[in-house]
Amino acid sequence: MTDTPTHTDSNPNAPISNGVDSTVCDDARCDQPALVAAGIDHAYGDVNVLQSVSLTLPSGTVTALVGPNGSGKTTLLRVIAGLLDQTGGTIRHRNHDVVRSIGYLPQQPAFRPGFTARETLSFYAALVGADEDAATKHLERVGLKEAADRPVEELSGGMIRLLGIAQATIGNPPVVVLDEPGSGLDPGMRVHVFDVVGELAANGAAVLLSSHDLELVERSADRVAVLDRGRIASEGAPTEIRDCVDADTLLQAYEATVTGETGTVRVRGDSS
Amino acid sequence: MTTGHPADNDVEPIDREDKREDGIDERRPPTVSPSHLIEAVARREIRTVVRTPTFALLAVVLVAVLVGITRLGGGARAGYVPATADLLTPLELLVPTVAVAFGYRAVLDDARRGELDVLRTYPLTPRQFVLGVYLGRAIGLLAAIILPLLAAMATVALTETPSIRFYATHAGSDSPVLFLRVIVLTAVFGLVVLAVAVAISAIASTIKNGLALALVALVLLLFGADLALVSGLNTDLIGDSWFVYVLAASPNSAYRGLILESTISVVSGTGPRAASPLVSVFSLILWTVVSLIGATVAVSRQS
Repeated sequence: MTDTPTHTDSNPNAPISNGVDSTVCDDARCDQPALVAAGIDHAYGDVNVLQSVSLTLPSGTVTALVGPNGSGKTTLLRVIAGLLDQTGGTIRHRNHDVVRSIGYLPQQPAFRPGFTARETLSFYAALVGADEDAATKHLERVGLKEAADRPVEELSGGMIRLLGIAQATIGNPPVVVLDEPGSGLDPGMRVHVFDVVGELAANGAAVLLSSHDLELVERSADRVAVLDRGRIASEGAPTEIRDCVDADTLLQAYEATVTGETGTVRVRGDSS
Repeated sequence: MTTGHPADNDVEPIDREDKREDGIDERRPPTVSPSHLIEAVARREIRTVVRTPTFALLAVVLVAVLVGITRLGGGARAGYVPATADLLTPLELLVPTVAVAFGYRAVLDDARRGELDVLRTYPLTPRQFVLGVYLGRAIGLLAAIILPLLAAMATVALTETPSIRFYATHAGSDSPVLFLRVIVLTAVFGLVVLAVAVAISAIASTIKNGLALALVALVLLLFGADLALVSGLNTDLIGDSWFVYVLAASPNSAYRGLILESTISVVSGTGPRAASPLVSVFSLILWTVVSLIGATVAVSRQS
């Protein structure tokens, strides 16, 4: 693909002019997309990790990205978050009048030791012009009020992840990208994390998350994109994904959609 | 940190509720002033320095070593300039070591934890981040350098015989003012090496890597540059008339030259020039600026 990759703040209603996808996305049809990714390619050397991936993130919705290990989920999330440059395609943001356009939770969040949860979040809040009160409110929202004055090195893995989610929402970004927010958490904490994610969407954010917990995804996500071998294999509401392959559950639909054997981690590049 | 995506300002923003369901209202102007961002990063670094016992320990060790040398070397009794002569070589070794200790993990730790990635989603440019890190660490380093030197100065003031009563400087006179010059120049020297250490921290990818690079830089700064100069002199690669200028090439020799010219030569009277102060100052500024630019480029390339 010869298109110049771009990652711009732009009007999704305007035609995408890179020739990859010329769809005009009007508000009524796309439910106010906060971000439109079109024809995204990414390669690590000769290995094509993402191939012509298009994804629209409407405001006020949770979009779940599911797929086997090695399918390119984290790469796609990092490209959308602006941390990796795509080798092709465009990413367009709708919002401009915001101090922070994208919030991001890495797969393994970690914070500088020696600081309390409140101090950590206050630092990030300061970067968007907010104060400690805002940081405290974010801590309360994710349920970390009681641990606010605990040093981050004394927080459990689940608490660190919640702190990471609170960090991802600092500055009220219109797009929030969460890389496996429920990973490594006990079932109760995982449900709590997804509840928090639902609240973010209820407050108007376009949330994109990756997860292997298909049951929770089916329950919580408004839209699901199944990524397989670097391509979107299926996309839509959970019911649409199920109906597409006449499956009773999202897990069954996933198994029917994803190619290859379960239980085998694919190594990208060998077959491309 | 922001990745510098170009923005289209003619786009209609999505209408947002004035008040969110959770009561968090963070709508702010779309820009935060650069000075505010740099200050936020610097404050974080200062807190880190204050809360890291190793840095306090380094300062205490430096106090003990400098006061010890001042007393044992006889400088305490002889005066400020003799004390400067006693302290010069130890300072050339210790200040870079302390400065590297303050800076070699400053950026590296954030990168290893993935916090640099997170910071890239904030309206913080790599330049602002590097400046904030440098300023924060610099404040800690200045305390770690200046307090021990003040302790050494106090040692001279308390034990010197006869007591010095000159507070202005002129040729042939020892004075506390001359030692204050040493303190200022040593602080500047530390800041220069700190900039090099921050650059190393931004370039290194692992702690081991960072430590190795820091050690290489220290050896080059402490010994390599001087050996190269001596070698250049011996092989006539550097002419005698150029020597005082070439001496300014490394931070160490520039610092040494400035101390000799501004302190020791003042008392010892006329003699051959030890250095070119102007070129030395220019060299120190260049090392600092180039290092910080290098750190900024390295941070902006990390992903």
